[in-house]
Amino acid sequence: MLWKNFNQGIIKENPVLRLMIGLCPVLAVSNSAMNALGMSVAVAFVLICSNWVVALIRKITPDEIRIPIFIIVISTFVTISDYIMQAFTPDLHHALGVFVPLIVVNCIILGRAEAFAYRNPVLNSILDGAGMSLGFALALISIGVIREVLGAGSVFGIPLFNQAAAATIMILPPGAFITIGILMAFLNKMENKVQ
Amino acid sequence: MGKIIRLALILTIFCVISAGALAFVYLFTEPKIKLNQKLSYDSSVKEVLPQPGKAVSVSPRGYSGPINMMVGVDRSGTVIGIKILNQTETPGLGANVVKTKFLNQFIGKTAKDQIEPKKDIDAITGATISSRAVCKGVKDALEKF
Repeated sequence: MLWKNFNQGIIKENPVLRLMIGLCPVLAVSNSAMNALGMSVAVAFVLICSNWVVALIRKITPDEIRIPIFIIVISTFVTISDYIMQAFTPDLHHALGVFVPLIVVNCIILGRAEAFAYRNPVLNSILDGAGMSLGFALALISIGVIREVLGAGSVFGIPLFNQAAAATIMILPPGAFITIGILMAFLNKMENKVQ
Repeated sequence: MGKIIRLALILTIFCVISAGALAFVYLFTEPKIKLNQKLSYDSSVKEVLPQPGKAVSVSPRGYSGPINMMVGVDRSGTVIGIKILNQTETPGLGANVVKTKFLNQFIGKTAKDQIEPKKDIDAITGATISSRAVCKGVKDALEKF
């Protein structure tokens, strides 16, 4: 049962490729593998912590004001991660820019608080957060690696081939849509085969 | 009425706890953040000024926002260093203005020199606006100096 809470977010209910939520940061920061990794870590921190706190306070949270309370919890953790990144990884913070504060409005996080953590015990909620974060990270990093290799000829900043041969469109916005579309199609095809 | 007050009170308590937590984290990270900003500023100044002179900060308008740059000018009014601090140009095109190959072309220019893209400076392919913005930035910096 606990394992299932963790497992679900990775492939079966992958937030990006299956539920198709939280796509805005995915499109914006997946232009390089390093940005994708940094964003994944920040989202994982916020998602796991907010699921934990929301599950912890669910019994004392009045139904009418649960959404404002979720937002307070989420924005607190986002601001904490913003400070920590500014203090310890300033280069990454610089690269991610406005998308760190925008984690507040990432619908994966509010979605999990409302759909899962508000109705489930603490441990299950933490595992759900961890699984969803891992699913988000897998999708984001795959997209980041594919776009960086094809669009800039490098991976995690390490050059693989001459940049002149790279297709710049892949690190521009259209490249994000193309890559996500192909990955979704691939995942659907695999699922059809399994069934 | 009583209910509204109760809800407002609960929400207030959550806000106070949140503010407390944030104040605590800020207290610990703020000195480090300030230090990082100072370090990055100092290292930029050092980078654009290999010899004594003056570092001028300018922010010409690029293709999609300001390009914050620092230009090092020596005492005779010659560009001796240039660095892009912050930019939001198109990745793969305009963002290439940060490359040293492009920026090094400005070294040795003075206020008397013509600084026009495609004539005096090789522009970045597909990024005329960004290239022109950097040229304007250098001109502004020399004028300010």
